[in-house]
Amino acid sequence: MRETKLKILQYITGIALFFFVGTHLIISHLGSEEVTEWTSVADRAANSGWLVFYIILLLFGLYHGIHGLRTIILEALPRLSVKSLDFTLVIIGLAIFGYALYIPVSAF
Amino acid sequence: MQDLTFRVQRYLPGKDSKPYMQEFTVPMRQGLTVLDGLIYIKENLDNTLSFRSSCRMGICGSCGMLINNFPMLACHTPVEELNTDTITVKSLPNFPIIRDLVADLDPLFEKHRSIDPYIVMAETGDLNKLTAQFLQSGEELQSYLQFAYCVKCGLCMAACPTVSTDEFFLGPQPLCQGYRYCTDRRDTGAKQRFEKADSGHGVWLCHLAGACSEACPKGVDPALAIQLLKRAMVFDSLRLRKKPEPATPAQPIAESKPKIEVPEFTVKQ
Repeated sequence: MRETKLKILQYITGIALFFFVGTHLIISHLGSEEVTEWTSVADRAANSGWLVFYIILLLFGLYHGIHGLRTIILEALPRLSVKSLDFTLVIIGLAIFGYALYIPVSAF
Repeated sequence: MQDLTFRVQRYLPGKDSKPYMQEFTVPMRQGLTVLDGLIYIKENLDNTLSFRSSCRMGICGSCGMLINNFPMLACHTPVEELNTDTITVKSLPNFPIIRDLVADLDPLFEKHRSIDPYIVMAETGDLNKLTAQFLQSGEELQSYLQFAYCVKCGLCMAACPTVSTDEFFLGPQPLCQGYRYCTDRRDTGAKQRFEKADSGHGVWLCHLAGACSEACPKGVDPALAIQLLKRAMVFDSLRLRKKPEPATPAQPIAESKPKIEVPEFTVKQ
């Protein structure tokens, strides 16, 4: 039951994103001035815990977004081959993941 | 009583390039249904008008049409309830048109057939020994009863926004019937139905618009059935779904005692 498993992951990542995006927003945009200071940013960037946090946020966000996009494309273009769409989206996803991973990893 | 204006869709494939609307004036009378109006037109005004109907009492599901932009059974729709003197009647959307108001319901029946809408018996075990009837409690019956009221009129499919965008989407009627048989204790085919509903154009494409449940003339709630089917499939995928107990076969009639003793014949045979 491939589609069901993909959907379960969509639900799990959706719920998890509440926590991850919420924490990211509070820390980076809604917190006090101290957390947005350069030294605080640099401290977080050098912290392995935060590195893992941002990698998970990136993974979950990417999966959730790309799966949602897949659903929209499948409905809008029903004659499209599911296999070729999946292959294309996986390649796009991996490319974005690799590119986006560069920022937290290089800052670490 | 005031006359009614029926704006009826006309279309003859091969002759007309696209459907067009034709107006007819129908005399109003108390209790007139849309189907009565169409029959009046066919008998008195234009005998070439084509539409499908049979029972005239909302049981057969033949006369599904788009009435004032809402899918309804023509026989089940009193004109008075529409609160207008102008009634627009078109064939059901999301289905090809055979002629005038006659929609081709083949896509519905094909999708319905594809989900195995019948009780699947296990290859082994008591369920395969068809020597007795299976006992079913009232509670078990209630779990699927409302879904069993489906008359396959196609109104839910016509109302569904996802069917309109994705012609391969299974749709509310087949998915609802798939769930109906999955909940039946006599059935052992849930797994094979889950596999069929688990396609890129299957159950997960439903956005829960709820238009199917609103349109159903029999009070069936296909949107609920789809949600319950999704839940069952998630639980099954996570191996958390309780395997339902197989139905208990009743004692064979030959072995059971009659409740009332049959009296002796008083007259010599």
